[in-house]
Amino acid sequence: MSVRNAARIARRELRGGLSGFRVFLACLALGVAAIAAVGSVRESLDQGLARDAAVILGGDAEIELTYRFASDAERAWMEEISDAVSETVDFRSMAVVPRGDGAERGLTQLRGVDGAYPLYGAVGLEPAIPLAEAFDGTPEHPGAVMDPVLIARLGLETGDTFRLGEKTFVLTAALTREPDTSAGGFTLGPRTLVRLADLDGTGLIQPGTLYESEYRLALPPGADLAALERQANAALEGAGHRWSDTRNAAPGTSEFIDRLASFLVLVGLAGLAVGGVGVSAAVRAYLERKTGVIATLKTLGAETRTIFLAYAFQIAALTAVGIVLGLALGAALPLAFRPLIEAQLPIPAVYGVHPGPLLEAALYGLLAAALFTLWPLARTEQVRAATLYRDGAQAGAGWPRWPHVAATLAILVGLVASAAVLSGLARLTLWSAAGILAAFLSLLAVAWATRRIARRLARARVVRGRSSLRMALGSAGGPGSEAGSVVLSLGLGLTVLAAVGQIDSNLRGAITRDLPEVAPSYFVVDIQTDQLQGFRDTATGDPGVTRVETAPMLRGVITRINGRPASEVSDHWTLRGDRGITYSADPPTGAEVTAGAWWPEGYTGPPQISFAAEEAAEIGLSLGDELTVNVLGRDITGEITSFRNVDFSNAGMGFILSMNPAALRGAPHSHIATIYADRAAEARLLREIGGAWPNITMISVRSAIDRVSEILAGIAAATTYGALATLFTGFIVLIGAAAAGERARTYEAAILKTLGATRGAVLANFALRSAIFGLAAGLVAIVAGGLAGWAVTTFVMETEFYFEPVSAIAIVAGGVGVTLLAGLAFAWRPLATRPARVLRARE
Amino acid sequence: MTAPVATLSDARLSLAGNAGRVDILKGISLKIARGETLGLVGPSGSGKSSLLMLLGGLERATGGTVEVLGRDLTAMGEDALARFRRNHMGVVFQSFHLIPTMTALENVATPLELAGVADAFDRAAAELDAMGLGPRSGHYPSQLSGGEQQRVALARAAAPRPDILLADEPTGNLDGTTGAAIMDLLFGLRDRHGATLVLVTHAPDLAARCDRVIELVDGTLAPRAKAAE
Repeated sequence: MSVRNAARIARRELRGGLSGFRVFLACLALGVAAIAAVGSVRESLDQGLARDAAVILGGDAEIELTYRFASDAERAWMEEISDAVSETVDFRSMAVVPRGDGAERGLTQLRGVDGAYPLYGAVGLEPAIPLAEAFDGTPEHPGAVMDPVLIARLGLETGDTFRLGEKTFVLTAALTREPDTSAGGFTLGPRTLVRLADLDGTGLIQPGTLYESEYRLALPPGADLAALERQANAALEGAGHRWSDTRNAAPGTSEFIDRLASFLVLVGLAGLAVGGVGVSAAVRAYLERKTGVIATLKTLGAETRTIFLAYAFQIAALTAVGIVLGLALGAALPLAFRPLIEAQLPIPAVYGVHPGPLLEAALYGLLAAALFTLWPLARTEQVRAATLYRDGAQAGAGWPRWPHVAATLAILVGLVASAAVLSGLARLTLWSAAGILAAFLSLLAVAWATRRIARRLARARVVRGRSSLRMALGSAGGPGSEAGSVVLSLGLGLTVLAAVGQIDSNLRGAITRDLPEVAPSYFVVDIQTDQLQGFRDTATGDPGVTRVETAPMLRGVITRINGRPASEVSDHWTLRGDRGITYSADPPTGAEVTAGAWWPEGYTGPPQISFAAEEAAEIGLSLGDELTVNVLGRDITGEITSFRNVDFSNAGMGFILSMNPAALRGAPHSHIATIYADRAAEARLLREIGGAWPNITMISVRSAIDRVSEILAGIAAATTYGALATLFTGFIVLIGAAAAGERARTYEAAILKTLGATRGAVLANFALRSAIFGLAAGLVAIVAGGLAGWAVTTFVMETEFYFEPVSAIAIVAGGVGVTLLAGLAFAWRPLATRPARVLRARE
Repeated sequence: MTAPVATLSDARLSLAGNAGRVDILKGISLKIARGETLGLVGPSGSGKSSLLMLLGGLERATGGTVEVLGRDLTAMGEDALARFRRNHMGVVFQSFHLIPTMTALENVATPLELAGVADAFDRAAAELDAMGLGPRSGHYPSQLSGGEQQRVALARAAAPRPDILLADEPTGNLDGTTGAAIMDLLFGLRDRHGATLVLVTHAPDLAARCDRVIELVDGTLAPRAKAAE
């Protein structure tokens, strides 16, 4: 019976409309919408990647070889299994535009493609001419197409000529779209495309040049990709190849999307947590308004359970409305912002309404609403019928009964577990949940402390006579204080923002401020052995150069550890794909051998290996272990005889794996170098070395740092948007709190005016009160954000932490500003209303 | 009669309601002498409280003039009225109207602080002691009984030593014994400080304690009051 009665009461109560629930609905809908939108975008991109997998990959399957082209036998095997094969080669080089006596030089990621390219999709050119026509060039020079960014950097126009290595090309078009670039990773130089055959005579591809050849295969319909992959492993056994196919065309991209989306969902959950404060406050305020009704119902004989259910039904109905609103908004947002998303993430996507992510968002919304409303709902049980005859202000201040506490905990566990499972990032989710919980508890503690301190200060002699300040402190610390909801709702958003600010400034500081101090000016690759001496002489002969280091450079894949496939031993990053390896007779300058012993001088015995100590420990390698390294298709097995420290933080030369010279000297290879020079000498070095040896590629570390900084700025911006979204929800909660408090403030203002307070004094009182809460939230944000920044800087980035005061001050100012804004937005009515009206309405 | 402390000339008050404008006070003319105790009586809705509000500058007359201590309240702005009140008036309400976020002591000290009194808290504490509420000064209104709350309200009204005390059914929410005690305190205050007291009441025995009683009926002064004037 109680259920039916409860439903009846709930229906009657809801007839009053939803006007008191705007904040409830806004908070819930926003949180659900954010999660639904992120999930929908992820699903759109995943489906797009799956649909266009062949275009993204450039073929149904791809075989990548490092440092060499396929042998005739390998090529024959590829042609046997495919309908068509396209061959391309990819490497870094310098595009050189002669200008008067000197020349303009730009780093480029050069790609030579054959006539079959692209197997799928189309190249976009401006002017829109066929690729083959673009490559035909002029009778004098072969044609090339180039990324517009590089064209602008080099000051080129269509029809101008430039050099790649020792050969001159004519620019015939701007490359506006390369169909198969989504699968690619980070590149330092913008793209230049030339015909593969035209690379002959450039002198760029020589034994030891760092290049990758890629073979795209158009397979017959219904080809068994898994079987072909196995066949490829047999046909190219030990050749150090890498196989990809349409089953996962862009593993890097889809992993990036998944990680970013999961991370943003976690940010969304933080937003939902902040929104939960608003939801909880709205329910509490609603039930406080209903205290009289509840007491009356009890007087009339309604049981506690009936009353609990009656209000639970109402909240459930409102939750359903909030979730539906959120889902509609979340599904619509990606469609509305489609052009913006497409511009930021140039990845094929299938836009539409995707039920999966919407269900996930609805689940989070439901659990969050249950989590944040159960506690205030449980307090309906504490309202006594006697409340009707006595002041009810103290009613419902205690803890709910244990079944409600247990249910709240169970919902919390369910929410975190759902997020952990659905995000696929269990560890990160648990850490985030712990972080949000810790932040919540800290903010609650701070809100409590703020009230205590405000209370104390209000009684202090120093504020006596300063009536506005004393009154503001008094109400900040007194009963009905808004400290809890304001500090909680604002604090969490500001904390995330502060943490992002500190981490970002430290990271960028480390890269842009500290790194150039210790980093070389140039990183030089593709120095041929016969060019090495000349290069060294030229570089060291420059008065601006302080140091030049060179090392032989080969690329190799660690394929086996003690005879077992390396991928079975560990999935450490050093074992994925090919790595730069070197050889040297002596330990590198400054490198400390931490275990074992370096090979003796003139050692010519079985290959010996020195491995980076930290990475070896991460993989679990020991002295005496045997590593098999595939270099240019040849397996070299050596014993680890020493570990040494390798410092990657200064952008200098650092090799994970070094061998004794006799083991590798016979393999074709080039050399790399680092040049440490004054800034003034940098342009001169580029001119002299680039002019003398056109095949040598010089990478400006300063430009690379700028490029990395740009990427970091992008990631920081994405995170900042997430934090701002949380802050926006917090602002809605603040507005809700301010709106809820308007009646109380109107009453207070009326009494104060009766006692002789001017409107200025009343306004100052309200403003100071808001500022106190904003200041508290801002200070928590600085401390918590600073701590998070310190932890990430110290333990993850392993660099020294600098407290960044500008963003910290901005955050406190922002906190004060936002609370002032929310508070003052609702100060108008209290100030404008005549005291008599308010006071008599209360008589 | 000594020089009047307040003079109302054809004072009118009409307010906009859902059913159109309602005339609350329909041309009240009245003089109140300094030090006098004036009782305002009449049935509910007759305009007693509204007249009190006009006298306190809490409501603005829509016609006529309201002059208090030589100042025309109808010509003063909101803030000027607030300053005038804190320097010259104390108001006590039926529902006490204590600020719920302030303790008893802070409630009493507030008008003194607003007036810039240097020893506001000491004076407020002394006033609470005089009301027998010294031990309760740190309590919030919700922690006090109705009688205690009204005593705090009295202390708050009296602390600035106002020229005029306005009391709107100060015992309306209290039981008889407590109400009588409050009235003793109120009249005691008036006697101690020599303030003019204007009291709205339904209770005949309270009205009988006043120097003069006027009756309002439907927004006008009843003939008896007119005669008394």
